[in-house]
Amino acid sequence: MSKQQLQQTLFLPNDERLITMIPVSKMPRKTNLKKRSSLLCVVLNTVEIPVKVYIYHVKKSDRGDGFKKKMAWLLRDLRMLDGRSADKDTSEFDLHFEKTYKWSASSLEEKETFISSLWRLSHRFLIQKPEFVNIPQRLLEEIKDPHSLGEKAKSVDDISMEGEDYQALSGKEEADLELLMSECQVAISNAEAFTEQLSKQLSVLDGANIHSIMGSEDQVLNLMRLLDDGIREAEMIEDKLDTYDKMLANVKEQMEVMRDKDTLMTVRNTNHQRLLDELQNLVDHLDFDLKYTQALMDGDLTSPAGIVECTQAAQALHSCMNAQIHPSLQRTRAVEEQQKHFKKLAIHFSKRLSHHLNNLFIHQGNEIGETLSRYAGDLKMPQHNSIHKELVIYADLMLWLKNTDETSFHKLSAVYMSNLCKLYTREVMEFMESAKQKLVTTKETKGKHHGASTLSRLTGSTTSLTKIDHRGRSGSIQSVDSSSIKYGSDLDIAMRSVFDSVLEKVLSELERVCIAEQDFCFKFFHLIDKSSGVDDDQKKEKEASGEAASGDGDADVWVAKQTYSASEGQYITENLGEGLMQTRATVTLEMRQINDQVRSMMAELFPQLEQELDQFLTHADRQDGMYSMYMLVRMSQHVINNQDMGSFLGKTFGNCLIKVKRNFDRYVDVMMQSVRETKVSKKNRCGIISFVHNFEEFANLAENIFRGSDRHADLDKAYSKVVRIIFEQIMRVAQEHQKTPKEVVLMENFHRMYSVLSHLKNPCLENDRKEAKQRYTENLKAYTVNLLGRPLEKLHTFFEGVEARVATGVKPEEVGFQLAYSKQELRKVIKEYPGKEVKKNLEHLNKKVEKQLCEEENLIQVVWHEMQDVFIQQYKYYDELMRRCYPDSNITLEFTMQNVLQFFSDIAQAH
Amino acid sequence: MSSSTPSCFLLNTAMSKAKTQQPAVIHKVIMVGSGGVGKSALTLQFMYDEFVEDYEPTKADSYRKKVVLDGEEVQIDILDTAGQEDYAAIRDNYFRSGEGFLCVFSIKEQESFQATQDFREQILRVKNDENIPFLLVGNMVDLAEQRQVSVDEATKRAQEWKVSYVETSAKTRANVDKVFYDLMREIRSRKMEASRQNNGKQKKKKDSRKKKCVIL
Repeated sequence: MSKQQLQQTLFLPNDERLITMIPVSKMPRKTNLKKRSSLLCVVLNTVEIPVKVYIYHVKKSDRGDGFKKKMAWLLRDLRMLDGRSADKDTSEFDLHFEKTYKWSASSLEEKETFISSLWRLSHRFLIQKPEFVNIPQRLLEEIKDPHSLGEKAKSVDDISMEGEDYQALSGKEEADLELLMSECQVAISNAEAFTEQLSKQLSVLDGANIHSIMGSEDQVLNLMRLLDDGIREAEMIEDKLDTYDKMLANVKEQMEVMRDKDTLMTVRNTNHQRLLDELQNLVDHLDFDLKYTQALMDGDLTSPAGIVECTQAAQALHSCMNAQIHPSLQRTRAVEEQQKHFKKLAIHFSKRLSHHLNNLFIHQGNEIGETLSRYAGDLKMPQHNSIHKELVIYADLMLWLKNTDETSFHKLSAVYMSNLCKLYTREVMEFMESAKQKLVTTKETKGKHHGASTLSRLTGSTTSLTKIDHRGRSGSIQSVDSSSIKYGSDLDIAMRSVFDSVLEKVLSELERVCIAEQDFCFKFFHLIDKSSGVDDDQKKEKEASGEAASGDGDADVWVAKQTYSASEGQYITENLGEGLMQTRATVTLEMRQINDQVRSMMAELFPQLEQELDQFLTHADRQDGMYSMYMLVRMSQHVINNQDMGSFLGKTFGNCLIKVKRNFDRYVDVMMQSVRETKVSKKNRCGIISFVHNFEEFANLAENIFRGSDRHADLDKAYSKVVRIIFEQIMRVAQEHQKTPKEVVLMENFHRMYSVLSHLKNPCLENDRKEAKQRYTENLKAYTVNLLGRPLEKLHTFFEGVEARVATGVKPEEVGFQLAYSKQELRKVIKEYPGKEVKKNLEHLNKKVEKQLCEEENLIQVVWHEMQDVFIQQYKYYDELMRRCYPDSNITLEFTMQNVLQFFSDIAQAH
Repeated sequence: MSSSTPSCFLLNTAMSKAKTQQPAVIHKVIMVGSGGVGKSALTLQFMYDEFVEDYEPTKADSYRKKVVLDGEEVQIDILDTAGQEDYAAIRDNYFRSGEGFLCVFSIKEQESFQATQDFREQILRVKNDENIPFLLVGNMVDLAEQRQVSVDEATKRAQEWKVSYVETSAKTRANVDKVFYDLMREIRSRKMEASRQNNGKQKKKKDSRKKKCVIL
């Protein structure tokens, strides 16, 4: 098969061009295979860009003469071509792609052709060329110079191509050619003439061309001249530019010099300005008005206007002395002198001020003392508002003093405290005394009012004695109550309400005075760092005092307090309600800032307060243990009002509250003791025991006192303790009592306790309530059953015996055969209870119940109802027992059910 | 009755409360009616302001409370009785002790309404008094949707008896105070009337009482 054929059939359809082909056979040759002709073709694919070179292995197809592409490689993938040997002639060669393929060409020439063709192609189209080894040098040298090689290769290619390919004229060429030929009619017929014509035309064109070239010479010259001109002009401009440049450089130098000078001037100006400012500042700071000096030297410290002046002066002085001056300036003589002057002024003024205030304090302490008696009649603490008002105008001066002269400030506070301490001690003492007096006088007047002798206690006892005389029956239930517990008589109630109001008055007065004083001290002695002032006053002070005392760590305390107070603030206002306290609510904001300093100051001012209050409380407690309940409630309320301030007062009240709580506990203990010691008269029926009554009264009163108090929990505890004891003691009394059956005592008293506890509706006492109810029910039953044995005693015993027999296993029908329970015996027993007898017994029973129960508890109907019920049940039971144990004997009781009911009705009618 | 309490305080030093503690006037009220109509519920609501949902049949129980009746402090004794009883005669005794009666039925139970007739008759027989203070009470008015006894029906009967008819709810406390206070007022006016009459013929009455005792 020829190369042409192969190209046509195999490669042209894919736009490929066959370059070289050699017949080859695969190595090692497989002999047993039918030898088929096999070709290696090198093919150029021009369609793909960049141009690719393929190597095809083409084999003759199984059927027919056609060839088939068996394998294809890209030349690019060829890593190495091994010619086996450069010297020895061999037709074998290896192609190393991914794999190595061994081939044998049909002849040496063909192998060399193939190799050189690959060599050329790879040099032309590949950047990374395959390695050619074991190949004779001459094959590769052929194309040493890549350039010529390219041309050569190309020409070789082209030649080889032209020789074998027909290339058609393009469409345009064809059209041009046709046009040309049609213009010349003879063209076809006479080629010679046509050629001639063409050459003629060509020569004409040539001539014209030369002509025009020559004609343009002038113009070229012209152009050249113009160009020369242009160059000259340009040179001139360049010269000028250079001149300008030089000039500019000159100017630049000058400008630089000027700039340096300018900078220098500015620096100097600023320095001057600064110096001036600094000086002005210094003068402003240290300038001290003459009138201020005058005020400080001998300003009037008694009149408000003078004080204001002095205050301003002092503040100015303070700000001058503490002006922010650069340390280096401090060393200048002027400043030093001025500072010295200030210091002198300050010392002088502080001396003057301390002296003045010292006198003022002492004077005021004494003066108030004289007017003290005026308050004695009314239960009121003396007002200190006027002193406070008088002193408070010095507050700013005090602040100044504190900041400038700490020692005299402390001395001054000491003087104030010692003076006022005396005053307050006296006042508190007198106040407490008058409060005590008030209690006694009320008691006395009330006592008189009641219409007996002067001593109230005596009055009470005599009245009750007379009353006892008047009351015939009451004597029958005499009981001994040795304790001093007493509830709710007219006198007592009145006295207690008086006590309550006196107590409230005492506490709120103390609270008022203490808080007023605390407020004052706080303001006057500036005990707190007010770095985050609340109101305008404080802000002013803050400005005046500048940095204030930031080092003493109060600020932290204050912040903590404030957050605390924010939550508490609302509670206070809402809780206090009353006028006095409400006005204070605004003050309290500041009051939160109490710290140890204030507290210790207050403690020094009121050294006796706690003791006096304690004495008062003890005194009251001694008068009446019941008061401890009032005290507990009132005190705890006041403690709550004050506790948030963490103040001296809060602490004092807190301590007292603890004592009051102890008093209350003691009161409860005494009450319990008295319950334990209660003796009940043996002669009369028991009825409701005195301590049960007492508990009811106590509960009513206590509920009144403790209503709404947060101390109710204490009361609850007391309740359950007392109730326990009462339950215990009811049982003791029931055991001891000779006249009244135990069950009656228990039944009546527990019924009453149940009722009392139901009224209280206290969840803490729910279990006790249930217990009371249960005991009441139990004893009601026990009493009924015990008593009911009586009316039909023999019958009862007989049937009990019968029942016992049956229970031990005797058949019911056979009981009658036992001697003791024969029909005979039964008849005998029954005979003893004719209807009349039964009725008499029932009437007797009814009377007995009436006699044993007290009317007060009103349980007669309940008990009697129960009795009737049980009696009927018994009757029915006997009846049934007889039917079971003595069948066919026709024995019945001598009274019918109808009789029984009639008896009941008759008894009812008898009342 | 009022005399027993103060004696317990005999030896207390400042005791003088006697009269104020124990009101002289006691009104005895009896609750009657069939079982489960709410006699105890009414009583407990009046006494302790509480309503007990659980039903537990009463046998008999006595309650006492101090109240202010038209400005006067009085004591009310309430005898709460059993509704379920096999023998009516058992009731005679406490009917006898009562000064006024609250005859309760349930408006959602016709039977309980019918039973009031028997109670009324027994009370009149035992007390032997046509004008005994008496109130017909229709309870459970909070359950009006289950009503079986109409207002007209009950009012008619009350008119026949010449007593008032009041509807109550022990659960909602509707009219609870009213029935007790109305009854106490009736009792009070009856007592005043009686004392006026008694002024003249006190002796006679004593005699008649004694005679009865002899018979028994």
